[in-house]
This record gives sequence, structure tokens and C-alpha cells, in this order.
Amino acid sequence: MDSKYYETWEEYLAEHPELEGKPAHAIAPKIEKYEDAMFVFIMDLLL
Amino acid sequence: MTDAAVMTNERNQIFRDLFSGKTPKRVPISNPATQDFAIQYAGLDLAECQWDLTKLEPVYDKFCQDFYTDTYPGGSIRIPSHYQILGSTPIVMSSSGFMQHPEVVGLLAEEYDQFIASPYDCIVETVLPRLYTGFNGEPGKVAMTLAKAMRAQSDDLAYLGSIRAKLNAKYGYATMIGALTEAPFDFMADFLRSFKGISGDVRRYPDKIVAACEAVLPLMIKKGTLPNPSMLGYTFIPLHMAPYLRDKDFATLYWPTFKKLVETLAGMGQNVQLFVEHDWMRYLDYLYELPENTIMRFEYGDAKLVKEKLGKKHIISGFYPVTMLQTGTKEQCVDKAKELLDILAPGGRYWWQADKSIIHLEANGPVVENLRAVLEYVHENGTY
Amino acid sequence: MLDLQVLTQAVGDLDEKAILTMINDFVATNPSGEDAQKIVFACQQGMAIVGELFEKNEYYVGDLIFAGELLSKTIELLKPVLTGVASQKVGSIVIGTVEGDLHDIGKNIFGSMAEAAGFEVYDLGIDVSPNAFVEKVKEVKPQIIGMSGVLTLAIDSMKKIVNALNEAGLRDSVKIIIGGNPVNEDACKQIGADAFTTNAAEGLKTCQGWVK
Repeated sequence: MDSKYYETWEEYLAEHPELEGKPAHAIAPKIEKYEDAMFVFIMDLLL
Repeated sequence: MTDAAVMTNERNQIFRDLFSGKTPKRVPISNPATQDFAIQYAGLDLAECQWDLTKLEPVYDKFCQDFYTDTYPGGSIRIPSHYQILGSTPIVMSSSGFMQHPEVVGLLAEEYDQFIASPYDCIVETVLPRLYTGFNGEPGKVAMTLAKAMRAQSDDLAYLGSIRAKLNAKYGYATMIGALTEAPFDFMADFLRSFKGISGDVRRYPDKIVAACEAVLPLMIKKGTLPNPSMLGYTFIPLHMAPYLRDKDFATLYWPTFKKLVETLAGMGQNVQLFVEHDWMRYLDYLYELPENTIMRFEYGDAKLVKEKLGKKHIISGFYPVTMLQTGTKEQCVDKAKELLDILAPGGRYWWQADKSIIHLEANGPVVENLRAVLEYVHENGTY
Repeated sequence: MLDLQVLTQAVGDLDEKAILTMINDFVATNPSGEDAQKIVFACQQGMAIVGELFEKNEYYVGDLIFAGELLSKTIELLKPVLTGVASQKVGSIVIGTVEGDLHDIGKNIFGSMAEAAGFEVYDLGIDVSPNAFVEKVKEVKPQIIGMSGVLTLAIDSMKKIVNALNEAGLRDSVKIIIGGNPVNEDACKQIGADAFTTNAAEGLKTCQGWVK
């Protein structure tokens, strides 16, 4: 999904070099979870 | 294992069989009455109970006790708190306490190109601020409003979820998960262009409709994706605009992206339940084309013809007229249930649900008795 | 003077471009109010074609909505040249979506078709209380009241409204038609209405029959 308001983990990581070397297996799912939670919240306002 | 746990396993197996096209050991039943009905049934105030959710556990408990069902009854996505915080105009509580959707326009005709270029950007920047007053104003204020609304909805859903988990465990219901999405054309119509707006667009800018539907399709697929396709559950898709279109407009504007949506979700291994609202009888051949074992709950139509044309490939549901519960005798209501069982159950692929949800309870009317009688009848006699 | 039959057909065809071109050209000729009335009549005949095509299942609700929009646009364009002419109304109708219900698409379709057919339409909007209906009826003394609703709770509200009209001594002076998904013959009897419909074109015919 190409949007200013939605980032994949890879896109997010590219913007946050401070996370290099940190445990991505723990961080990625959480970052993605809230990105998707916001997506569902937003879309449900129009359904 | 407790009795309830045994019942859950049994019911889960019934639905697993049903959804995969096997014939379950009996016809599963779902109570068509909603949370709104349950609140009125408990004699409580509708508006108050949608705000103070702590009042709902006894409401649901009584509801579950008094009406037979295989799936958790009620539920609501339209809990007022986050709508109020956001300054909602498309979803509002009427004087009667029911959350409803008055006609609104989220997207102007001249904004189609903006939407097509990036639907999610357009939604955030243009549509939501137009429909929800809370998305406008000082950035700090907007950020706080959004945070509060998200927190409110999250808390509400979690609380309702905890009631559901308790009662699933107590009454042994089937444990199904769900996702909600729409056909791209319906999404464009419902909150964005409006019924009136899209009716004009069909004549004036059909090419824009096509492009917009294609552009928003990935979002509708993502929205309809379950956390784990192998879990028991389904994507629920209420169908709105097709009955109001001419055949040729349906064929070019509605059908292509709707079909792709269902095919993609089914291709991911998910079950899809269509709520086929209003009259789709002229579109039965289209519905036949959808992936095998698509669940189709009909609001209206010829049950015999539907069973004949679709019943060997797809899972049929609906048709039972809830208005009969309001106006008929107990005998008439049960006879109707028997009539539909006789038409729709043979050969399998049938799930007992009514033609629509019951949200209103007339205090002195026959609905409670009739509904109970029908649910009991189908439970005791629902074989394939 | 433009060809009225061509205009009527264009309205029937829902050909927006053709209609607007003809109307704009017509208005630019600075026509008399009398000629403008003939145009309005031609458009109304076109709307009758639309209604017929709807009954034949060639047009659907989306087309009726579009037709209503086209007609409103057309009347707006003609307003400047319609002055000085007493437009003859065939009757007046008070319509509204009843208390507790916020749905209005069907009501709006019916309203624009009724206007197109020459009725004076007073639209009270949505979530309308019995009191609001009573007050409007007292004020404009319509021949007909149209009550609309999509939710089954509308049936209760419709009953309350008819009772309120009875109490105000107004029931006998009006005909009442109810419309919307949940209405049927039983509901009509329960409510005490004179007619029911789930089809705007059919409802309009009923109303036309009442004011003949």
C-alpha cells in the first residue's frame, strides 16, 4: 500500500538506523501491529 | 473437559464441516437478534448501556440463557464512545438510541483523481476531516482526539471481548473470529460518495468509479484479512449497492473488483460470508462464479431457486423473514422455519440465519416468544 | 422554442448533457413565463417515462435518484424565467422519516418524483417526532402525509404519529401513505394508514389518485 501514512517494517527501519543491531524479531512485530491497528481503526470509521 | 468445552468443540466441528463443504451432523443456528435487542430485552436503557458497558454482562447472560444459538449472539462495532470523541457525522445515535448511518458525503466528485492517486492518503487528509469534526483544527488537538478515540474503542472492544470469552466458555458457543470489509464499489458509495453521489457518478464518471475501485481494492483486501487464515472464522462482506444498479452498470462497475476481492480472500484460505442485502435474484449467475463454499446469507429472494442454482457449490443462509416474528402467530413462525428447512437443508451447505438482524424489541409484542420458538424448533429439527 | 418532445425524451433517457444544453439555450432566449411552464411540463412528462422504465425494471433506484437530481438542476436553471407564473400544484404532501430513524434515500426519491409530478412537497427531514408532523399539518393543511422508515421501529413511530393526528382532530382531513422496507399490509392496518408502498413510483400513483 503506497501511502505517506502507512509504513512497512522495512520502510520504518530504513528511517530509524538507531534500531540496527537491536532485536528486530521483538521490535518488528510490535511496530507492524500498531501500524495495522491504526489502519483497521481508520478504515472502520468508513465501514 | 466441561460440558461447555465439549459443546464448543462440537459446534466448532459443525462449522468447520459446513465451511469446507462437508455436511455437519446438524444445521447450525445463529440468533439474529443484536446487542441492541438484548439491552431492550433486559429492560434497560439503550443509550446508557452502549456507554456504560459494565451493564452488559448480565444483559448478555440473560440473552444467552433465553435464546438458543450456536454462535455468540449480539456484538456491535458501533459503540458510541469513539464516535462521540471524534465528532462523527456518518455514524450517530438517533433519538431512539440506535446507532445509524445517515447519508453523508466524504469525497467530492472533483476529488476522484486525488483518491485514485492514493486512497489511504486521501482518506486521512480529505475524507476523514470532512466526516469527523475531530480531525480538524490545531494539530495538537487533533492528535489528542485521535489518541483518545483509539484508546476508547480499544478499551470498549477489549471489554466486550472479555464478556464474550466468559460467555463462550459458559455456554459452549462456537469460537469464531471475524473480519469486516466491503466490495470496493460499496466502499466508494457508503461513506465517500454517498448513495445519491454515486448514482450520479455511474452516469457521469463511470471511468473514475472503475479506477477508484481498482485503487482501493488492495485496502479492502487488507481490511478483510484475518490474523490467521487457518483459524475458524470468516470475512464478513455486507453487499449494498448492486440492487440499485442497471445490469450493465453492475457488470462493469460493481462486479469485477468485488469478484477479485472474494477470490483473493478465498485464495488466502479464508472463508467469506456475504450478506446479500436486498434483491440479488437477477445476479445469481454471477454469484455462482465465486469461489466454492462462499457463504451467502440472503435477505430476499426465492429460496428454492437459490438452492437450485447455488446450493451445490455455495453455503446458503438467510431468507427467514424476521418481520414474521413481529406479525405472525407462533405456529406461522414455526411453519415458516420448517418450510425453509425443507427447501434449504437437503444436501447440506445450509446455516440457519434470519434474513436480517433484529435490533428493535416491541415490549408487548410477540417477537420474544416467536423467536424463542423458532430457534428451538430449528435446533431440535435441523437435520440435513 | 425548443422541441418539447425531444426534451421529454432526453429527460426519459437521463441524458444530462442534452437536457442542460437545451435548457440553457432556452433560458438565454429570454422566454415568457408561459413558455417556461411548457418546458416544466415537458420535463414532468419525461419523469413519467423514467417512472415507467423503473416499473419495467429497465431503470433502477440509482437511476431514479439521478433523475431527481437532474430535475432539481433543471428547475433551478428555469427559476429566473418562471417568475410571474402561478405554478399549478396538483396537491400538497408532507413527508418525513419517522422518529428514531435516520434513513432518507427512499423518502428523497419519492419527494423529487412527487415534486416532478406537480405536488407541493414539505419535507420534514429525518427522525421526525409526532409533534412535528402535527404542527406541519396544522400549518400547511396538506392533502397527503407520507411517512418513511427503514428500521422496524419505524412501525411504532408511524403508529404514534397517526395517533397524534387523531388526537389533534386532523386524521380525517388527510390521506396517509407509508413507505419503506418494513411496511406491508399488516403494518398498514396496525398503523391506521390509508396505503403503503415499497416503491416510489407506485406510491406516487397512489397519491395522484387521491388528488384527482
